[in-house]
Amino acid sequence: MGNLDLQNLTRGAKLRIGILILALVLPFLPLVDNYVLHIVILIYLYMILSLGLNIVPGFNGLLDLGYVGFYGIGAYTSGLLTVHFGLSYWLIIPLAFINGAIWGILLGAPTLRLTGDYFAIVTFGFSELVVLFLTNEIWLTRGPLGLPGIEPISIDLTLFGGPKWEFVGELPYYYLAIIMVLATVFVMNRIQNSRLGRAWFAIRDDEVAAVSCGINLLRYKVIAFAISAAFGAMGGSFFAKWVTFLSPDMFKFWESFLILCMIVLGGMGNIWGVMIGAVVLVSLSEVLREILPLFGLPAEVRFLAFGLIMVLMMRYRPAGLMPIPAVAAQMKAGRVKRKKVPPTVGLKK
Amino acid sequence: MTPTLKIDKLYKYFGGLEALKDITFEINQGEIIGLIGPNGAGKTTLFNCVAGVERPSNGKILFMSDDHTVSIGGKKPEKITALGIARTFQNIRLFDNLTVLDNVKIGRHCRFKSTFFGAVVRNRFQREEERAITESGNQFLEFVGLKGRGKDIASSMPYGDQRRLEIARALATEPHLLMLDEPAAGMNPQESRNLMNLIHRIRDRGITILLIEHDMKVVMGVCERVVVINHGQWLAEGKPIEVQDNPKVIEAYLGTGAANAA
Repeated sequence: MGNLDLQNLTRGAKLRIGILILALVLPFLPLVDNYVLHIVILIYLYMILSLGLNIVPGFNGLLDLGYVGFYGIGAYTSGLLTVHFGLSYWLIIPLAFINGAIWGILLGAPTLRLTGDYFAIVTFGFSELVVLFLTNEIWLTRGPLGLPGIEPISIDLTLFGGPKWEFVGELPYYYLAIIMVLATVFVMNRIQNSRLGRAWFAIRDDEVAAVSCGINLLRYKVIAFAISAAFGAMGGSFFAKWVTFLSPDMFKFWESFLILCMIVLGGMGNIWGVMIGAVVLVSLSEVLREILPLFGLPAEVRFLAFGLIMVLMMRYRPAGLMPIPAVAAQMKAGRVKRKKVPPTVGLKK
Repeated sequence: MTPTLKIDKLYKYFGGLEALKDITFEINQGEIIGLIGPNGAGKTTLFNCVAGVERPSNGKILFMSDDHTVSIGGKKPEKITALGIARTFQNIRLFDNLTVLDNVKIGRHCRFKSTFFGAVVRNRFQREEERAITESGNQFLEFVGLKGRGKDIASSMPYGDQRRLEIARALATEPHLLMLDEPAAGMNPQESRNLMNLIHRIRDRGITILLIEHDMKVVMGVCERVVVINHGQWLAEGKPIEVQDNPKVIEAYLGTGAANAA
């Protein structure tokens, strides 16, 4: 039976199952120490974040430069609820999710009437506001001192007379992160093939035509923004419990930019592409962090490398490593190849 | 009998420019009406006012939807679509990166309900709805003659097929009134004939049609009545043959003196 199923699978499905199995056994492979696990968890975290952000620029075609604001809100929601109320993480996940969605609606409802660049500026302002709030409202967040001593995640069954497991080391977080990534991919996949997803794609391709099909632009954009924010906040809630320390400068603008880079690099709007983008950029970031000092350069130089990658991508593969199928088909046909990118002035091959 | 659409003393200004001035006419249920006039006469502006894209400066637009009359002047376009007015665009506006079937499915949007939770949970209600959307979407494709093309990418189709897809998408919103903005533009005679055939078949489904068209063969071939506007003003109205011989209309198209010359 199992063999038969395996034969019926497409190559893509086999590949995905293979990767999943590899991910599940990864911690037990030789040469995989805590450091590697830490990086892989970071990759998973950024997968969740970039999948969440992908909804706004990838599915709706709106530029969002303030995603890290929701990430920060989620992280502090998680941190503060743990420190002050000692809530269980399993309760915090939905709360952070809802809190993210609420802030997404509060920001989106009045500002999503703006188009293009103006909207991007508003989101950028929002993320700066979040950082300022976290820095200055010392009574709540302890400001620049940060929020230390967030208790790690635990599975508490004492209520039912069972034992209590605390998450120690990277391993439990590793598997929790996998579950969260799978859940996120599951939700994104389902949305993609639904009435909601189609409405978003319609908005991305042509707003005027979308309206003429009876789609309420503002409403669907706000829904998109809220869901995107909710996933950002969920990622944040995990981050807080995983590193057990928060400070406002973890949520600076460049984080938004990094997540945006992952999406553009992987292929905007393509779930698998976006995940690949997260893998590439997080690993590259870590590799460069090790390599750059060898050349006498500070580790911060890696941001220059990200910028360079973006420039090269825009020049040679504007649709990303794994574009959405339609764009890929067009690129194959060679018709819209580099159509959107005029040749650089004064630079000849 | 109350008309399907009644435009009453409609005005539209863009700053100091009078794009529409005192336009009044009616469209009856099941009619095919042509709206003609020289370039810049205000035809598309009138369309946009009815479709809700532009807000009329003055005057009324009344639409009969399900046995009661609604004033739709200044309503939001998505509301107007939901009430039962669909349109196509002068320069085709498809969702280029989506498949043909998805384009039509998006047209079905306003007749269905499920959103985020339905999509994630995929309960029975949502599954039934999705099946209904796909099924009816395929029916609309078949109706316009694009059967079996559902998986093609919209922008990869030839021009004439894109036009038909746009009409299928408009029909998918289940309109009472369908407004076509220059559907025959850029079509060869064969394609125009197919289009005329299609327009007749749409009317046979009980849908009223308002058509902007420059191709006089198409206008003569399908329209039962023609409204002529020029410089934003109502100029003439009547059967295509009558309007064609109306000196005022000839003058509007060809200039003063042309009527005598002809």
